[in-house]
Amino acid sequence: MSLTLRLAFYPRLHCVVRNVVTSCSKGATDTVVVPKSSGAPLIIQDKWKDDKGAVEGREAWVETLDNSTNSTQLGLIHLNPRIFASYPRLDIIHENVVWQKKSRMVNYAHTKHRSEVRGGGKKPWPQKGSGRSRHGSIRSPLWKGGGIVHGPRAFTTQFYMLPYHKRVRGLISTLSAKFAQDDIKIVENLDMPSDEAGYLEQLCEDRYWGPSVLFVDESDIMPRNITLATDTLGHMNLMPVYGLNVYSMLKHTTLVLTVGATRLMEEKLLYNLDRPDGRSLVTRFRK
Amino acid sequence: MASRGTEKALSLLSRLPRIELQNLKPNPGAKKNRTRGRGIHGGKTHGAGSKGSGQRQNFMRLGYETGNNPFYLRFPCQNYYKGHHLKVSYVPLCMGQLQKLIDTNRLRTDLPIDVTQLINTGLFNIKPLEKEGGFMLQDDGMDHFRATVNLEVQWASEATIAAVERNGGVVTTAYYDPMALEAAVNPIPFFKRGKAIPRRMLPPQHLIDYYTDPKNRGYLADPKLVANERLKLAQKYGYPLADSAILKPTDAKLKEYYLA
Repeated sequence: MSLTLRLAFYPRLHCVVRNVVTSCSKGATDTVVVPKSSGAPLIIQDKWKDDKGAVEGREAWVETLDNSTNSTQLGLIHLNPRIFASYPRLDIIHENVVWQKKSRMVNYAHTKHRSEVRGGGKKPWPQKGSGRSRHGSIRSPLWKGGGIVHGPRAFTTQFYMLPYHKRVRGLISTLSAKFAQDDIKIVENLDMPSDEAGYLEQLCEDRYWGPSVLFVDESDIMPRNITLATDTLGHMNLMPVYGLNVYSMLKHTTLVLTVGATRLMEEKLLYNLDRPDGRSLVTRFRK
Repeated sequence: MASRGTEKALSLLSRLPRIELQNLKPNPGAKKNRTRGRGIHGGKTHGAGSKGSGQRQNFMRLGYETGNNPFYLRFPCQNYYKGHHLKVSYVPLCMGQLQKLIDTNRLRTDLPIDVTQLINTGLFNIKPLEKEGGFMLQDDGMDHFRATVNLEVQWASEATIAAVERNGGVVTTAYYDPMALEAAVNPIPFFKRGKAIPRRMLPPQHLIDYYTDPKNRGYLADPKLVANERLKLAQKYGYPLADSAILKPTDAKLKEYYLA
């Protein structure tokens, strides 16, 4: 497979500034919101209370889905390295994908047990005297056409819950891996000037956003235009933050997050990384 | 956390093909294909041996040793374990550990530190059903204990009491009966049961003396006697008490009066 240039086209940052509303995250103590009047570039930086300090943070462009503006890049956002630059545990990502698939899978394959196969209630021939081997039923597993002993039984599920911290690590690893491979795009919000699918498709093509795109916003009520645009497109989907999962993130090539969604997600994941009641999530049937 | 290994891994990833559902795989050795025992590997007698009660699924009772006096019947009752099922044990809480919890912000000093707060840190667990009575304050690390706390434990020695009071803190020993302890250790499930909150029982006979003794800062002791003991302990160990300091007058007239 040839190495494709996955770097997005970065135009020079013009001094176009918008009032970006960022969510007030629990962990953040200092959010920079630049007003419209000033000519300074937009930099969204949060200082996290429990910053480990010694690692270099990650930065990403804040873009807009509005092609009518001067430049599609609005400014810069600082991302928490514990979420977007953690070690990409591919084995945990694999476990998460397997868990998601197996948990919802229902096996409908079914074989009949000897009691379910039609017939076989009568003893075929008397116990002694016929010279043939002794049998009690013509549908025993020994017989051709008889019941299957350990065959698949319909509606078999393989539901299980992956340990809590593996699921958290899975999300973090996927985000880190995707960020490292330039497949995460941060947008200001999901507002679009047009509600046509063609507009969105053209936009994604111009920006080299992969064949499939997953748009993630804070709440499950999305702006009208993008809802209509993605309605007919199967390869472009909308998702609220609470629906974020490893399988969907890998199924779609590009992951487009809004600033609010990013901050909300960071807050939740950071809390779950070192919460004091972590033991209660791991012990079973004890309360 | 981006250590050198992490940075290397992430920079590697940026040059490798995109991670997709198609190119994921488990760690080597993680996947084990479980096969049903057939033929050579678990067939013929299927682990049941040959003949005898085992193969015929008519097993001997547990502990039976085919006729000789079994182990569980050989020894008579021993006195050393008499009443073991009635004895209550306490979870140790070292002073050094307490200091570390306060320093790392896992415990707040502005609120009283009792059983519930200690359990909420997530580092301790008390099982009232296994005859655990609560926390006991241990003297490991009391020499460098610096925090001012309002502490409530179930057992404390003289030295530990002195260590807490030296820093201006307050320590009390309180008895929690098993039901009350269950509620204190896990308050939310307790309240969800919707039952009326029962009264906390008084300590049993053999513990009444302990909790009424001001020397142990018992919660049933007379507060005046407790204050007296506090003063005595400060004098014994040789540290000043904040509230027993003699405050000199600041008013000019009073100063003049006392000088004369």
